[in-house]
Amino acid sequence: MNNRTILKRTFAAAVIAGLSLTAAAQRHPRELGPAPELAFKLVRPATFTLDNGIRCFYLEDRELPLVSVTGLIKGGSLHEPAGKVGLASLFGTVLRTGGTRKLTGDQINEELEFLAASIESSTGPQNTSIRAGSLKKDFGRLVELLADLIMNPEFRQDKIDLARNQSLESMRRRWDQPYQVAMLLFNEKLYGADSPYGRRATPASLQAVAREDLLDFHRRYFAPGNLALGITGDISQKEARAALERVFKSWPKKTVAIPEVPPLAEKADGTVYYAAKDTPQGNVWMGHLGIAARSPDEFKVKVMNDILGGGGFTARLMKELRSNRGLTYGIYGGVSEGIGRERGAFRIGSQLKADRFVEAIDLVKSIIRDMQDNPVSDEEIATAKNSLVNSFVFRFEQKGQILSQFMQLKLDGYPDDYLDAYIENIRAVSKADVREAARKHMDLEKMIIVVVGDEKRFDRPPASLGGKVESIDLRALQEAEKVK
Amino acid sequence: MKKPGNPLRFGTLALILVLGLGPLAGQNLEDKVHARTLKNGLTVLLIERHGAPVFSTVYGFKVGSVDEVAGITGTAHLFEHMAFKGTPKIGTSDFEKEKPIMEDVDRVGREWSLELAKGERADKAKLARLREELTALEAGQSKFIVKDEIDVIYSNVGGVGLNAGTGTDQTLYMISLPSNQLELFCLVESERIRNAVLREFYTERSVIQEERKQTTDAVPTRLLSEMFMAAAFMAHPYGHPVVGWASDIHSVTLEEALAFKNRYYTPNNCVLAIAGDVDPAKAWPLVERYFGDIPRGEDPPVLRTVEPKQLGERRVRFEFDAEPLLMMGFHKPAFLTKEDAAASVLAYVLTSGRTSRLSKDLVQDKQIAVSISAGSGPGQRYPNLMTFSGVPRFPHTVEELEAAVLEHIEKVKAEPITDRELQKVKNNIGASYVRSMSSNMGLAMTLMRYQLLFGDWKLYLKYKDIVDGVTARDVMDFARTYLTPENRTVAVLVKKAKAD
Repeated sequence: MNNRTILKRTFAAAVIAGLSLTAAAQRHPRELGPAPELAFKLVRPATFTLDNGIRCFYLEDRELPLVSVTGLIKGGSLHEPAGKVGLASLFGTVLRTGGTRKLTGDQINEELEFLAASIESSTGPQNTSIRAGSLKKDFGRLVELLADLIMNPEFRQDKIDLARNQSLESMRRRWDQPYQVAMLLFNEKLYGADSPYGRRATPASLQAVAREDLLDFHRRYFAPGNLALGITGDISQKEARAALERVFKSWPKKTVAIPEVPPLAEKADGTVYYAAKDTPQGNVWMGHLGIAARSPDEFKVKVMNDILGGGGFTARLMKELRSNRGLTYGIYGGVSEGIGRERGAFRIGSQLKADRFVEAIDLVKSIIRDMQDNPVSDEEIATAKNSLVNSFVFRFEQKGQILSQFMQLKLDGYPDDYLDAYIENIRAVSKADVREAARKHMDLEKMIIVVVGDEKRFDRPPASLGGKVESIDLRALQEAEKVK
Repeated sequence: MKKPGNPLRFGTLALILVLGLGPLAGQNLEDKVHARTLKNGLTVLLIERHGAPVFSTVYGFKVGSVDEVAGITGTAHLFEHMAFKGTPKIGTSDFEKEKPIMEDVDRVGREWSLELAKGERADKAKLARLREELTALEAGQSKFIVKDEIDVIYSNVGGVGLNAGTGTDQTLYMISLPSNQLELFCLVESERIRNAVLREFYTERSVIQEERKQTTDAVPTRLLSEMFMAAAFMAHPYGHPVVGWASDIHSVTLEEALAFKNRYYTPNNCVLAIAGDVDPAKAWPLVERYFGDIPRGEDPPVLRTVEPKQLGERRVRFEFDAEPLLMMGFHKPAFLTKEDAAASVLAYVLTSGRTSRLSKDLVQDKQIAVSISAGSGPGQRYPNLMTFSGVPRFPHTVEELEAAVLEHIEKVKAEPITDRELQKVKNNIGASYVRSMSSNMGLAMTLMRYQLLFGDWKLYLKYKDIVDGVTARDVMDFARTYLTPENRTVAVLVKKAKAD
């Protein structure tokens, strides 16, 4: 990309200095001339493949004597067996804390912390990520430990028990905050309690996970052909490559087939779910399924989101509910894309003034309806597109961020020129496109509404939100989960 | 799309500064930082980092909730919200026509607020009449309002992270911009400092009432922390919450907010830091031209109240619909003292990382807790607290956790920490100084804070020397002197017994 897309403004200071003392400020920004050209070149990491097939992304960063390495391995909670929900999350923790064949987790802790270095891992729905960082002088040792953890994790039983106990405690505590409870219920209702996307770990499912399951998960997904590594910092590509070849050389070439996850079925049917909780605000999440990854509507939806609820205070939801009416501290939402073959979600969430709760949700609906029925204004679409285009440069602010962005795009199957074409794709979106996206990807009839709050404090009962109301008993859910 | 649940703008800064011990190795920092104090007293730090063509800025006023008195708690934070409503040039289509309506809004709003403040004894009919009158006036004014124009201006040029935060000690305003937008930044922000217009005051007051419910009343850790601080400080204003007490947020007037602003929002009480791809030769003339003629103000008033020495343990026990939590704290001297540095080292040894004493013993071995962290709070300008926050693991109780933490504190009083522990802390602090220089906003915030609160950004470098000078003996002395039963405040949240 070049800089033509960035608004221009001239430094007039030298010319005008002394000309006027008070007029410098006390002007409207539109009275400023065009800004200077912004010189920006898209920075791209180098790529190379190790002898055993590990794909590497590299970006030099000589500013500070630091190095960092990130590993991404496909396979996550979407792929865990139904009776063992929570396996992947436990795996992500104990991969690091359980140590390696040679070293216990405690020994690794002691060594890393003394060096002011760190290695941390976690497993999400799609993949495991493992992030390592140290001072430059400790790079050699850092990658030795990293490789050992990736190739030879031991999953010692005491650390499995520790991680499980910690998870059980967070399950007890996941009912403490009303907005989180609403989110949890929304995910379950949106995706279905049995779907890999909507199911959640319970004490029983977590108890069912044994050390052998973690070893099996490792055997299944951890192989050179399924690992991508990103390296950045005060080190040359040659040095980095040599060090990585050395530490991973004992790992034999192997590829992995990631199992297909059954496609999502839309379950949203306009139901209102109400969970009573004694809390000062009305907590709400509403929505239905979103668009697929690489959908042809991706950029139309991005612009629409910015105008509806993604663009902070310039977005309609925030402007109307917070700024004009004082009904909430914040409201965000929009239609997200899926990852891989999956669909994302259309969702809006907020914590609303209880005695105007139903009024506020009706207002959200009318804002959506308006975006479906009428074109957005010229100013709105210009601001949304300018914002997306001109802030693009911030995707390249930090080297580590550039690296992980490219790795993630590659892993998720985006084309290599995705970022090069990004700005032109945003610029091509029209007002008609925004309206079409609003009509096609948001459906008020289908949308489910999950409410957590105290209906006695509401302006009107949840039933007046339309649709059938289903009550959810939080206490019963909590009791059902209690560890026996 | 930005994910729902992102941190919202205008947050109150976290009450406890977790002791990551911020920053540094001095890596040529002195070559990168250019400092200048303008004639009106505004200190500006330009920090050169020529990576991506962007810069981040933060400016702070040395005013926070610690500068509030009873009745107007939350005003520093409230004004921070109002600073986004524009100026006579920004946020309006015709200021001359808007102005007289605003004056009526101010008059009716004040009358309404004062009546509201009577609580139960308020005249309901009068309240309704005034509210109606106010709504009509606001509707009239709204015809001239250009909504959230500061946001629109910055969004159009690609600005990100327009935000602000209020803490006990300071109020901060931030934005990051492409590097060709420095003049726009200077224009908008100098206008805002000079001439903020408090549009839509009563709507924003309502937003903050919701903010309080969302971020305190519905959040067990925050609610407990509020009660804990109120118990630990009897006299000093560190005892009241940054967001303010609900009654005060409910009734503070526009006039009071403006008076508060005029007292503290002066260039001589402000530091501006700009970090990133900036050329000092081009930046200084712009900074001088836009910010240089904001009139200097009077020095802000001196806070007289000193927290009396605590003479006995204070305890808070609080029942709520949530799992149990523990907070504990001990009064200690202010930041940049040797005692405070010893407390930082001790906090590190006790709870930082998996090899720290409490994490190893209480979280990993005995598994009494799922987390425990030591820190310092709620501010740095005045003597404050060394704090411990713990989350017990069922079936272990807050009482067990409290006893276990106290046992470790006794151990620190009895035996010096080891050489290896001390060295580990110092290694980590050294590395964190290096890491702190990898982000424009992080660097701008850190240096700005040292300059604003303590008068010299270079104290950031000196702080590392202070910590490097801490010995095992200093840590033991600190524990013996300050971590005593009579100097202790303990607050616990326990789960409410079932109502049915």
